[in-house]
Amino acid sequence: MNSRMIRFILFQVMRIEGVLMLLPCLVSVIYGDGEGVFYAAVAAFLIIVGFIGCRFRPKNHSVSVRDGYVATGLSWIVMSLFGCLPFFLSGEISNFTDALFETVSGFTTTGASIMPAVEQMSHAALFWRSFTHWIGGMGVLVFLLALIPMSGGSNINLMKAESPGPSVGKLVPKMRYSALILYIIYIFLTLLETILLLFGGLDLFESFCLSFGTAGTGGFAVRNDSFMSYSLYIRWVAGIFMVLFGVNFNVYYFMLMRQFKKAFCFEEVRVFFTIVAISTLVVFAKILPLYESGAAALTDAFFQVTSIVSTTGFGSADFDMWPSTAKFVLCFLMFMGACAGSTGGGVKVSRFMILWRSVVKEVQSYIHPKIVKKVTLDKKPVDPDVVKSTHVFLATYVGIFLISMFIVSFDNHDMTTTFTAVLATFNNIGPGLSLVGPTCNYGFLSVFSKWTLIFDMLAGRLELFPILVLFAPSLYKK
Amino acid sequence: MQMPVFRARPAGLKIIIVGAGKVGTTLVEQLSREGHDITIVDLDAVKVNDITSSYDVMGCVGNGASYLTQVEAGVKDADLIIAVTDSDELNLLCCTIAKQFSGCSAISRLRNPDYSRESGYLRDKLGLSMIINPDLEAAKVMARVLYLPTALEVRSFAHGQALIVKIKIPEDNILDRMTVAELGAKITNDILICGVEREGNVVIPGGSFELHSGDVITIVATSKAQQDFLKSIGMAQNQIKNVMIVGGGRSAYYLSDILIKRGLSVKIIEQNLERCEKLNELLPKAVIINGDGTNTELLLDEGIENTDAFIPLTGIDEQNSMLALYAKKISSAKLVTKINRTGFIDIINSLDLGSVFFPMYITSDTILAYVRAKTASPGSNIETVYHLFDARAEAITFNVTDESKITGKPLKDLKIKDNTLISYIGHKGEAIIPTGSDVISEGDTVMVVTTHTGFDDIGDILE
Repeated sequence: MNSRMIRFILFQVMRIEGVLMLLPCLVSVIYGDGEGVFYAAVAAFLIIVGFIGCRFRPKNHSVSVRDGYVATGLSWIVMSLFGCLPFFLSGEISNFTDALFETVSGFTTTGASIMPAVEQMSHAALFWRSFTHWIGGMGVLVFLLALIPMSGGSNINLMKAESPGPSVGKLVPKMRYSALILYIIYIFLTLLETILLLFGGLDLFESFCLSFGTAGTGGFAVRNDSFMSYSLYIRWVAGIFMVLFGVNFNVYYFMLMRQFKKAFCFEEVRVFFTIVAISTLVVFAKILPLYESGAAALTDAFFQVTSIVSTTGFGSADFDMWPSTAKFVLCFLMFMGACAGSTGGGVKVSRFMILWRSVVKEVQSYIHPKIVKKVTLDKKPVDPDVVKSTHVFLATYVGIFLISMFIVSFDNHDMTTTFTAVLATFNNIGPGLSLVGPTCNYGFLSVFSKWTLIFDMLAGRLELFPILVLFAPSLYKK
Repeated sequence: MQMPVFRARPAGLKIIIVGAGKVGTTLVEQLSREGHDITIVDLDAVKVNDITSSYDVMGCVGNGASYLTQVEAGVKDADLIIAVTDSDELNLLCCTIAKQFSGCSAISRLRNPDYSRESGYLRDKLGLSMIINPDLEAAKVMARVLYLPTALEVRSFAHGQALIVKIKIPEDNILDRMTVAELGAKITNDILICGVEREGNVVIPGGSFELHSGDVITIVATSKAQQDFLKSIGMAQNQIKNVMIVGGGRSAYYLSDILIKRGLSVKIIEQNLERCEKLNELLPKAVIINGDGTNTELLLDEGIENTDAFIPLTGIDEQNSMLALYAKKISSAKLVTKINRTGFIDIINSLDLGSVFFPMYITSDTILAYVRAKTASPGSNIETVYHLFDARAEAITFNVTDESKITGKPLKDLKIKDNTLISYIGHKGEAIIPTGSDVISEGDTVMVVTTHTGFDDIGDILE
């Protein structure tokens, strides 16, 4: 294991986090709320330590698959630990566990909050909360790769560990440009949404915070009632952008390159849109009796479906009060999540497709024992290793899910709460049902449960293995 | 002063054939019979010797893609080079190099699906006259038979306007003991019987010819008329919905591709696991079974008894024959059998293997049509040449562009050679099955069926 390189990457991450933390300082100066001091102090510390650490460049720049996983897992932990300091130091969140929960929830784009009322928080804190979504959405290591030229061709292992999806590839031959293209698309879409939200009558601060929350598919809002008090226009803008950020970013790359034919033939994206459309119709049909106007029902159905399927977790309505079928559809969407290569979480549509096709293949092999059939995606056969790792992923996913539920069950809340608390954090959604529903928060859970959910959020965002390898004893043996 | 160019026979072309395989040999046989100057090039001296001792052609041992070998074979004043070696890349290289040094036309065989998908592009960019894919051609022919399952063979011509269909008259059919003239009077005038094979002899029948059960007849008609005719003589058509193919080679791939696009369900049994995986990639909708296709238990498991069509396409003729016979015994499936070697044609014909195909005839037919068209006089050019009854008769389609002795006169006034029949006239987009009073005009497409060989001009049909 190239521990020098991992250390180097960690210092780089600290340095970048320090620089990014200057933005909330700026917000604080603009609004004069005085909280900026704490952000400035942490930022200064991170930048100084980061710069000193980065002076020791390792000779060997290679990043093996294992190094990539370890570096990614550790980076996210380091990032979360330092990211929560301003909340804790300023006393806005008095409890360290809560501060860490909020920050991890931010970086992992979960959006599950322990804050009962966010409107009392300072602008700097609200901005930092939303900004962590934006950083975590595309990933800090991808950002690192985009900014810093690193020699050696093995950096893709970093991107592989951090980017979601069963298989990760480059867009262009050079890693750095691939990362850069992703961020350019990301920034462009974020700005576009901000402008559209501004047209809806929101102020600049609110527009930016909501755009960050949408872009990273996070879900931290700046109002206590999330989206419930916004106009239909704002809900539609946010809803459409949530779908857009749930789409594989390769689609936008191909559109950028004017290869529209390639852009439209992503099977996963087509399935994703089909599922969004069907789910919206089902939810709409079920909730229509609760609403006075069809337009409002359709808006909320669409908004809530896109919010959940993209794993954002904004709430435009208290869907905990909806009929069971509508709630079930939302729960299913929580499991499935968005497309691979997007900023969304969950199991991912492509994994669901691979799993479904594996089932079809298995059933066929009982009818024709000697049949040769490969699982295909985009009309190409999926590498058997990828199919295997998808199966393992599912098994691990279910395992962690059950253990987490077992631990949370010690709090002795109702089954729906226990189940959806894990479901909504593990898949990086945010709100669940019952006691953790869209109008509630996670503050009442025990410290033990909160640490479990912190683990779940990190494991869910990094797709299990970068976090799990940190627990492998053999990693620490010389 | 310009030197006169001497040629032994003005009509004969100088043709270089690279590759002395099955297709190469068939081409040598047919082209030399038509009087062309052939040079055969192959790496294998034994093969070259075999050919030069059987046919009146020149041989040249060497790599056909090498410039020196080509010069030795006389590429500088050749009219045509035909590359039919086993390797696609070598074929393309042969043609490309030949094109660099001489003004000859080039025909290349290309079998790999990777290239054949872009054969149009390759042909244009490399300046080739023709790229021929025997497996694809064979697949097209087989697919056509499956479309008209009671037929033994179906060929289309005149841009698909009309079909040549070969059927075997079943026992106790109404055609038994009926003369050709009676058929026209009693059943339909829209079809023409242009060839009959009985006990190994091929006859181009006149009006008084009496048909018997067991005769294999070739009919020319539009596709609508063909279907109506087959229905009226009681050979009912059951549309084929599922097909079982044994052997997953290239022709199996092309055939499956056509059939799947037409909406049929296809099952392929192939022994080689790697090939199975490749087929699964190429044909995600087909059911690919990895197993020994000659294992009867596997065939029964996979439902050979209930399949609508059974097509053995293994590389071994004996296996194909045995599989077809086995399927014949236990199912009522339509059989299509591919035979690669021509050596045992008589035996194969006596076995009742359903529709039998000889892929190299399909290849050589296409090349032959091209060569004939190249030698033909300006007034008429050849569109297609089909071999009927294993090359014992030919169906040639001419495009009549100029006035000549045969135009403007009723057919009954023309003195046409024995065993030659004008079987179709395409006149201004209309398909005519000719009778004695019909007339050929300029711009028509005319099909002639004959047992004579070497017709390259429509005028050749006259005495």
